[in-house]
Amino acid sequence: MPDKPLIRKLKAAETLRQVMGDYYQRLKNAQDSGEQRVAWCSSVGPAELLYAMDFEVYFPENHAAMIGASKKANQYIPVSVANGYSPDICSYLTSDIGAFLKGETPLKKMGLDSVPRPDILVYNTNQCREVVDWFKFYADHFKVPIVGINTPLNLGEVSPGTVKYISDQYRQLVPVLETVSGRKFVPERFKAAVGLSRDACELWKEVLETAVHRPAPINFFDASIHMGPIVVMRGTSYALEYYQLLLSELKERLKDGVGAVAKEQFRIYWEGMPLWYNLSLLAKLFARLDACVVASTYCNSWIFDDLDPDHPFESSALAYTKLFIVRSDSVKQQLLAEHLDRFSIDGIIYHDAKTCPRNTNNQHGLQVRLHDLTGVPYLEISGDLNDSRCFSREQGIIAIETFLQQIAMDK
Amino acid sequence: MYYVGLDLGSSYTKGVLVDQDNTVCDRLALKTGYDFKSVSQQIIDHFSRGHAIEYPIYTCGYGREQVDIPFTAMSEIIALARAVYDYYPQKTEVIDIGGQDTKYIRISDTGIVEKFKLNRKCAAGTGAFLEEIAFRLNVPPEKFNEFALQSTQATEINSFCTVFAVSEIIGLIKEGAPLPDIVLGIYRSIIKRCEEMAPLQNTLVVTGGIPEYHPMIVSLFKKLWPATENPAHSQFLAAYGCVLLHRGSTGED
Repeated sequence: MPDKPLIRKLKAAETLRQVMGDYYQRLKNAQDSGEQRVAWCSSVGPAELLYAMDFEVYFPENHAAMIGASKKANQYIPVSVANGYSPDICSYLTSDIGAFLKGETPLKKMGLDSVPRPDILVYNTNQCREVVDWFKFYADHFKVPIVGINTPLNLGEVSPGTVKYISDQYRQLVPVLETVSGRKFVPERFKAAVGLSRDACELWKEVLETAVHRPAPINFFDASIHMGPIVVMRGTSYALEYYQLLLSELKERLKDGVGAVAKEQFRIYWEGMPLWYNLSLLAKLFARLDACVVASTYCNSWIFDDLDPDHPFESSALAYTKLFIVRSDSVKQQLLAEHLDRFSIDGIIYHDAKTCPRNTNNQHGLQVRLHDLTGVPYLEISGDLNDSRCFSREQGIIAIETFLQQIAMDK
Repeated sequence: MYYVGLDLGSSYTKGVLVDQDNTVCDRLALKTGYDFKSVSQQIIDHFSRGHAIEYPIYTCGYGREQVDIPFTAMSEIIALARAVYDYYPQKTEVIDIGGQDTKYIRISDTGIVEKFKLNRKCAAGTGAFLEEIAFRLNVPPEKFNEFALQSTQATEINSFCTVFAVSEIIGLIKEGAPLPDIVLGIYRSIIKRCEEMAPLQNTLVVTGGIPEYHPMIVSLFKKLWPATENPAHSQFLAAYGCVLLHRGSTGED
């Protein structure tokens, strides 16, 4: 008899492939027909505003993650490095620009010869400042405008003053977007997009919250893939429809007591970026060790439940500034402590991503303070999101195996 | 019946033969090379002469699953902690310096691993670091300890990276630093890398092949932290711990 599978694949994965394929097809059509303009947007940039103004919206960060997952980043990073980008900076940037310079893209599988040509690039520095340098490369190359929102970092409370500062910047984008798109800004359309985005975020939150149950029906490795629509289709009905489907499958699993892994003895929290090139290796490793990575900062970062269609500018400003990565270490610590408690976490793993200090939270002692506060054991792993040269596979595996044995000893 | 524990490390494979009373009757370390299967077989063959071996054997280390004989694999960190606790049944901290890794382990007074850490990306501060420098200096690594004992004043080596440490050493040679002072500086840089792993609070148990072959490193640890212990044959401790984990400390299965 064949062994029972350690990992239970979600049926929705098939639909997800279709939904993402259609999304890229819409970008291709926009470019081919010339009927719609293409905006490039940073991952937590003003997607709703862009969709409301009839752009098709492309997200280089999603593209870079695809490069990472295709295990090709290490062919592209050296190309960027040879062109003056340091191997120590964001490996999303270096692998994406490297692929572009080499004339390659994982989108070829979806029928696109290259990344869609931008008509404008729009960023928000809430995620990181490097995204501006990244976008600037393409703005120069394609000779198109680059505009954006500058968000202050390391925030404790998000004050009304900060919200005004950000919402003013949102408003200032409008005339530029009108010029590039050739469409008038229609407030009702923006409100509708913000409403769709909020509803999709609520569903995404519900999806992730199913993992508070034992066994968790979805894990971090599934969620890293199934978050595609919430990243690239926020503000459209496509995201909403997809998460309705995914959520109903997860509810079925809850009803039947079906977990994401065959046996869930340990519940782990993942802090930091995924290692895109080893997603499946790690998924299998945890499953083999009877562990489920039930929650993560990364996937939880796409819950923007402060969005409010009645106040689209202000609520966008608030929602996109309140996210984890923008906050001070003490706020982050408090949010993490809440996650550890709510998801009944046995251990937390910090991924120290060599080229992404913004998404790395074990460099300023937070891991020690959180441990003192909660007593939840932790492990730190050196690696990177896309640059696999920064990750020692053998060392990583033994560290994770040992960590789970450490937790078992203490249980 | 006799039990075998094997620690298949990146540089050496260490084996112990353990009797019913958990006494180590024999030990053997061979260079791992590229063939985990062959090296483990050689050790098993050696132990098999005159001893009936119980299978599975117990393995840990990088090559823990790369053996052709029936085995039960485990983490070398858990195994090492188990053996250290057998020697020192108290709160301890362990620093293990091996061929590729430096490990830190904190063990509770009940023998539980409370925290562990591995060296970061670079091998500086490990056996590979010493071998590279020995190669560059054209001095056999086994002579290092002898040289270090003759030093009057250690040099300072700062680089994080093995390759840069070598350039730094070349600079020291140009400045006329005597070899013993350079070698002592190298040992001290290893200690500095270990100091970064965690703040020491308890009895420190220093283990692994590097302190075993370079006892000056243990002396330097003792200067830094007087409550330092270095059990004999410490490079075999993880292999021994593998057996203990499966047999219990009194020898029952």
